[in-house]
Amino acid sequence: MRVTNSKDVARTAVLISLALSAALLLSCRPQSEDPATQAGANDSGVARSNARVNVYRHSMDGAPTSLDPIHASNIYANFLVVNLYDTLYRYSYLARPYQLTPNLAESLPEVSADGLIYTIRIKPSVHFIDDPSFPDGKGRPIRAEDFVYSMKRHFDPAMRSQGNWMWQGKIVGLDEWKESGAHYAADIPGLRALDDRTLQIQLITPFPQLTHTLAQGYAAIVPSEAVSHYGSEFGVRPVGSGPFMLKSFDSTRAILQRNEKFRAEAFNLVSEGYDPASQQVFGVESLEGQAPPFVDRVEVEFIAEDAARWNTFNSGLLDFVKVPVTQFDRVLAERNPPRLKPELEQRYHLLANLESGFVHTDFNMDDQRIGHHPDAEQDSRNRALRCAMVKAFDWPRRNEIFYSGLGHVFPGVIVPITPEFDRKQSLQSITRNLDEAQSLLKRNGWNADNLPVLEYGLPSSVTERQMFEQFRSFMADIGYPEEKIRPLTFASYGDYARAYLNREVMLITSSWTMDYPDSENTMQLYFGPNASPGANNANYRNPEYDRLYREAAVMPESPMRTAIYRQMSQMVIDDCVSITGLSRTLILMWDKRFRMLPDRSFVGGYFLRFATDATDGEVPAVLEP
Amino acid sequence: MLGLAPDSATHRKALRNLLQATLLILGVTFISFLLMVYFGPDQTYTLIGKNATPQQIAEVRHQLGYDQPFFQRYGQFLASLFTLDLGVSHSTGEQVRTILARSLPVSLALVIPGFILGNLIGLLLGMAAAWQSGRWLDRLITTLSVSTMSISFLIIVIALQIVLCTPYGLNLFPARGWNVSGLSSYLYYVAVPTLALILTNAGYSARFYRAVFVQEAGREHIRVARAYGASPFTLMTVHVLKNSLLAVLTRIMFSLPLVLVSGSLLLETYFGIPGIGKVTFDAITNGDQPLLLAVVGLTAVLFVLVSLLADVAYRLADPRIR
Repeated sequence: MRVTNSKDVARTAVLISLALSAALLLSCRPQSEDPATQAGANDSGVARSNARVNVYRHSMDGAPTSLDPIHASNIYANFLVVNLYDTLYRYSYLARPYQLTPNLAESLPEVSADGLIYTIRIKPSVHFIDDPSFPDGKGRPIRAEDFVYSMKRHFDPAMRSQGNWMWQGKIVGLDEWKESGAHYAADIPGLRALDDRTLQIQLITPFPQLTHTLAQGYAAIVPSEAVSHYGSEFGVRPVGSGPFMLKSFDSTRAILQRNEKFRAEAFNLVSEGYDPASQQVFGVESLEGQAPPFVDRVEVEFIAEDAARWNTFNSGLLDFVKVPVTQFDRVLAERNPPRLKPELEQRYHLLANLESGFVHTDFNMDDQRIGHHPDAEQDSRNRALRCAMVKAFDWPRRNEIFYSGLGHVFPGVIVPITPEFDRKQSLQSITRNLDEAQSLLKRNGWNADNLPVLEYGLPSSVTERQMFEQFRSFMADIGYPEEKIRPLTFASYGDYARAYLNREVMLITSSWTMDYPDSENTMQLYFGPNASPGANNANYRNPEYDRLYREAAVMPESPMRTAIYRQMSQMVIDDCVSITGLSRTLILMWDKRFRMLPDRSFVGGYFLRFATDATDGEVPAVLEP
Repeated sequence: MLGLAPDSATHRKALRNLLQATLLILGVTFISFLLMVYFGPDQTYTLIGKNATPQQIAEVRHQLGYDQPFFQRYGQFLASLFTLDLGVSHSTGEQVRTILARSLPVSLALVIPGFILGNLIGLLLGMAAAWQSGRWLDRLITTLSVSTMSISFLIIVIALQIVLCTPYGLNLFPARGWNVSGLSSYLYYVAVPTLALILTNAGYSARFYRAVFVQEAGREHIRVARAYGASPFTLMTVHVLKNSLLAVLTRIMFSLPLVLVSGSLLLETYFGIPGIGKVTFDAITNGDQPLLLAVVGLTAVLFVLVSLLADVAYRLADPRIR
C-alpha cells in the first residue's frame, strides 16, 4: 500500500514537472507575437548583436518611468521625449557654448519691443506618426493649436505635470485657466493659435528664458487624440512627430525606430555650430547636406549598475557608455586633458563632458542653530560658524576621492558651463584654510562644548555615507567633535527630498542639473520666495539678493545682467549659505564606427538624430581588451 | 485510497483551513499595508515639479490618495486584490495588471530552471553527504556548501558576468537582455542567471537536506534495511528520501514565492531582465505604491495558497496525516 502511494507521488511529481515545463515553453513565446516587446524580433537572440545593420546601441545610467512630455523631469525621460516628439526649438548640435536653433518652428521667435509678445511660425506639413488614435490610423498635420493644448495639459491638475513650474506666473491667463477648472475648450488670452501655423504667447512680465523653455522635453507637442485614446497609458504609448518612433519600452530598455515620415532637412555644419579645430576628429563633416535621422534603429539600454553597464559595453553589446568613475584608471592614459589608453583609442572616441550643473551642500538657513537668527549677534555668530565650515571643507580631496580628480571645483553658484561664469574670480571660498576657520570659531565664541549638533541628511547609499564620513573628518580638523555631526539617513531619495523640502534637514547635500544654459536657473536656487518646498532648499532670505534677482530676471543676456548675477553669487559666498561647488566631468566613450558628438547636457537627446554608422553596418571584429 | 474521500471531518478541516487562510491573508495584508503607508516610500516629492507650492503638493497627495483615511485606503486595497483590479501605476500610468501579466512569465521562466536544478543538485549532494557522513566526501560537500553560502550573491553574479559574458573571460553568453524568441534563445539568455541561482541555492539546499537525511539515516528501520542488504541507492532514495519528504516539500514549496520575487530581483537588475523582481525594485525606488502593494498583496496570497497546497501535498506524501 505504501509503495503504491509513493509511486503515485512520484508519478504526480513527474506530471507536474512536465506541465510546468510545457507552461514555461509556452510562456517563452516568440517576441514578434508580443506587441509590447516586438522590437526585439529582429534579434535572433543567439546571433551576436554586432552583426546588425544601422543600429545604434546607447546606454543610460538610469531609466525613465514615463515618456509623456509633462513628466520629462529627468535626463533619461528628456532624452527619449525629444526624439519621439517635436519641440519648437532645440540646441544646435555642435555649437559650444550652447545655442538655440529652430526645430519645429520656422525661425527664432519674433519678440515685441517690450519683450512681452512672442510670435512663432511652425513649419508646414509636419505630421504626427500614424497611430490608431487618429481616424483611419493616419497621422494628421501638426497645428499651432496642438502646442496650446500641450501647454494646457501642464496646468491641468489631473495631469500631475512636473514641468508647469517653468511657465507658472509667466503667461497671461494660464494660471487663471487652471484656477477656473482647467476646461480645455476655454481660451487663454496669453496662449493663442492665430492660425494653423502661427502661435502667439503673451507674457505677464518679460521672461527672456522663454525660448529656452520651449527647447525642453516638457514643451514637446502632443496630439489630443492620442491622449484621449490611451488615457493613463499615454506615458508608454507616445505619439509624436520626432525623428524616431517607439517600438517597445520597459524598465530595462527602449527600442526606437526611424520615423520614415520625419521632415527632410539637410544637415548644415555652419548652422549646427561646427568647429573644425575641436570636432573634425568625430567625422561629422561627412553629414553635410544629408537629412537625419541617419540610423534605422536605436536601442537604449537602461543600466543603473556601473559594473553591469561596463560589462555590457565590454561584451560588445553597446556602442556608447558613460564610463563609471571606478573604471577611469583602466581606460584613461592621462587625466588632464582626459585621453584614452592607446589600445582603446584605436577603437573608441572619448569625450570629457562637463555637466550642466553642480553638487553642493546647503546649510538650512531656516534652522536657527546654524542659519538666520532674529538676534543680530547670534546671527553673526552663526554666519561665522558656517564660514568656518566652508573654509574647513577640502574640495581637492573631495574631488580626488569621489570624482577621480576630474571635477571642476569653482566658487559660488554660477556654473562653469554657462556664459556668465567668471574665470578670474577669487578662489578663496574653495581654498581650505584651517587656521582661518579655527580663528573664526574662536573669535565668535565657538568651542567644542557649545557647537551645535549638526544633522547631515543623506539618502541611504554607500557613496553618500562615505561622503558624510569624509565631511565629518574635514570638520574634525577644526575641532568639531565627531559625535556632534550626525547622519540623518533616509531610505530613498524621495524620503530625503520630503525631509529637506519640509525644512527638516540642517545640511543638505544635493546636485542641481540646469534646465537651460542661463544662470537665472541657478540664481533662483537662493531666491527668497522660492524657499522650500521650492527650489531654494537653503531657505536663504536676503532682501538685496531678491531685489537683484527680480531686476535681472527680466533682462536679456547682457554684460549688465552678468555683472548682477556675479554680484548675487558673491552674496551667497559671503553669507556662507552653501559649501559650493563642483561640476562633475562625465567621460563618454563610443565606438568609432559612429560619427557623432554625444552630449549629456543641453543638447542631450537631440544628438541622436545626427548619429550615423560610418561603416553602414560593416562591423569590425570586437577588439580584445 | 489516499484518504481524500470527502467526509464531514474533511469538510470541517477544509472549512477551518479556508478560515485560517482568510484570516492569514487579512493579517498579512494589513501589516504590509500599515508598513507601506507609514514607513513606505512617499511618491509625492518625486512627482512634484521644481518650485512646487504647498497647494500643488496637496493636489498631488490628493491624487495619490494619501489624504484618505487609513481604513478607507485599506478597504480599497483589499477590494483591488479581491477583484484583481489593481489600479494604475503611479509612475508609468500603465494598468498594474498589465505590468504583472507581462513580467511574471519572464520571472518564472528565469528562476524556475535554477530553482529546480539547485534543489535537485542540493538533494543529490545532501544524500551523498549523509551517506558518507563524517567522511571526506561529507566534509568536501560541507566545505563547498559553506563556501558558496558565504559568497555574496552579488559577487557571484558579477563574477559570472565577467567570466562568461565579457571578453575578459569566455564571452559565451550575453551580459544582459532577454530577447527570447524560442528555445535556443531562451537557453542562451537563461544560462548564466541559472548558473548563479544554482551556485547560491545548491549550497543552502545541500546543507539543509544533509541534516535531514543524516537524522533519518540514523533511525532503526534504516539500520534494519541496511542489515537486510539494501543497496545505498535504495536506502537513500526509497527509505531515507521518502521518509524525509515532508521536510523536503516544506522547503521547496515555501521558498518558491521568495525565490520568485527576491531571488530574481538582483538577477533581473544586473542582467536587465524585465521581470517581477525588476518591477518590484523599481516600484520601491520610485515609490510606486499601487504596484508595490499589488506585489506585496499577491505575494502574501501566494504564500497562503502555498501553505494550503502544502497541506494537500503532505497528505499525498504521508497518508497518515489527516
